Amino acid sequence: MTLFRQLLGNKKAMVGLTILLLIILVAIFAPFLTEYSPVKRVGRPHQAPSWEHWLGTTRLGHDVFARLVYGARVSLAVGFGAGLAITIIGTVLGIIAGYKGGVIDEVINFFTNMVLVVPNLPLLLVLAAFIGQASPLVIAVILGLTSWAWGVRVTRSETLSIRQRDYVKSAEMLGEPSWRIMAFEIFPNLISIVGINFIGSVIFAVITEATLEFLGLGDPNTVSWGIMLYNAQNASALSVGAWWDLLAPCFALAVLGLGLALINFAIDEIANPRLRTGGMLNRWTRMVRIGEGKL
Amino acid sequence: MTFLLRRLAFYLAAFIAAATVNFFLPRLMPGDPIQIMFASAGSELSLENLNALKLTFGFIDAPIGEQYLRYLQSVFTGDLGRSIKYFPLPVTELLGRSLVWTLGLVGIATLLSFALGTFLGVMAAWRRGTIFDSIVSLTAIFSSSVPAVVVSLIMLFVFGYQLGWFPNGYAADPLLDPGFNWTYISSVIHHGTLPMLTMVIVLTGGFAVTMRNNMINLLGEDYIVMGRAKGLADNRVMLWYAARNALLPTVSSLAIALGTVLGGSLVTEVVFNYPGLGNTLYQAIIARDYPVIQGQLLIMTAAMLIANFAVDLSYVLLDPRLKKA
Repeated sequence: MTLFRQLLGNKKAMVGLTILLLIILVAIFAPFLTEYSPVKRVGRPHQAPSWEHWLGTTRLGHDVFARLVYGARVSLAVGFGAGLAITIIGTVLGIIAGYKGGVIDEVINFFTNMVLVVPNLPLLLVLAAFIGQASPLVIAVILGLTSWAWGVRVTRSETLSIRQRDYVKSAEMLGEPSWRIMAFEIFPNLISIVGINFIGSVIFAVITEATLEFLGLGDPNTVSWGIMLYNAQNASALSVGAWWDLLAPCFALAVLGLGLALINFAIDEIANPRLRTGGMLNRWTRMVRIGEGKL
Repeated sequence: MTFLLRRLAFYLAAFIAAATVNFFLPRLMPGDPIQIMFASAGSELSLENLNALKLTFGFIDAPIGEQYLRYLQSVFTGDLGRSIKYFPLPVTELLGRSLVWTLGLVGIATLLSFALGTFLGVMAAWRRGTIFDSIVSLTAIFSSSVPAVVVSLIMLFVFGYQLGWFPNGYAADPLLDPGFNWTYISSVIHHGTLPMLTMVIVLTGGFAVTMRNNMINLLGEDYIVMGRAKGLADNRVMLWYAARNALLPTVSSLAIALGTVLGGSLVTEVVFNYPGLGNTLYQAIIARDYPVIQGQLLIMTAAMLIANFAVDLSYVLLDPRLKKA
């Protein structure tokens, strides 16, 4: 919990956490923020922003602001859901591989390296294309199952060095079961790596969900930021001058990205005081960029 | 040598794994796999053509093991099937058409971002803790946390629609005849600038962060202190002592980034309607042209593996210890 306390004392972390908290509050209290339903026709097509419709309407006459605040729910749910799954799989496999060693390590390591070299994005596209219209839940599950490899690699290499420490050795000599050592001696020392892995995975999941939906692989009836982009693009929002239709979800995704990036930056500063933002950040910028196969 | 052979065997296994995914996915989906794969063809395919296509993907009247071997055989002989949307056109030829545009756009954008990112990373690390460092690091991390589609759309809106500085689509003026003359080339450059700028914005951050962190790790080394103690000029220590060594790990991420070039830049190409590999893949997704989508997965995997192998090779050349391992 010291990590959490240190985060509260970091300026960048506080700005990032505030942004994130605001978006979470908007998502929770969406029905109180707008009188419109996100899926009902409430105005004429492509009305410009006005007092009545703060962010204008879509081509189908939906209220853009309503879709934006309700859409936050899906983006956050997929981001945090998939991020959690990626982190849990990566951390558990990484600790087991690093601590147990031997054949178990070789097997896990082999699969990890294999998942790492097969480019993620076309794989996701092939999966999503066969599934057809993937719901947010399906997207989150696919992301969780295909994107854990970086987490394993980082956690494993850190576990390898922690395994040699005295307190682990003494726990072993006391005859503690290995699951206890992994859970209570090794895991607590990995907490900042797990934190960076988690936030990085959330960013990755948010970006990838929006991208898959923008490309038309999502379920068009969902209310999410990615589907908003997809619909606006299909309605040629820019060429007919309805910029609000397209820029609203763009802005929302950028703000969420900024908030998460600040938090990750801060965790890294705290984790590596000597380096000030060294080391670990490599992992997720690379994961985000190469993982999405350079979207 | 054994090191390289082991890597080679591993890459072969990884490639077969990607092909295996391709083989089993349609068969795992509920319903008739043949129906799923070739449904979008409708009745345009003659029975004879459909049978040839089925053969490529291993849909033969045999046990699943034999079907699988049959599919692997097509893959390894370079037969990726034919596009369903543009029927008799083989997948390899369809992808080949857009290859040149992607190589130009994404290849140049990757190299530019690498140069710019590396430069910014070196400067930020050298002046770590200053305002310059904070601005570079934060911008780099922010630009890697925003979806590429958002950056592309905003660039298109501002420079394409509002300011009208650049065209909104295509690789060149469609009214011009392609040729090696200045009118055509200038049109290509004019059309390519905006997507290229977008990609540079998207990609530079990652390279900058990597370089900065490598460099900061090295700045604590003894030979850096030694260089300074000798009274060498700052620039000389920065570039010839620190940056040169920090560059080594970055080169491997450049190789891998170049390995993903073959994927094109899916989102940027779609937003700017640029006729590269990414856009071809997108059109295939819309038309549910499965042979093209699957072919693209295999080609991108192969490119990634070749890039990884190039990295391994360079390590062997740079680190003699690996030769004996």
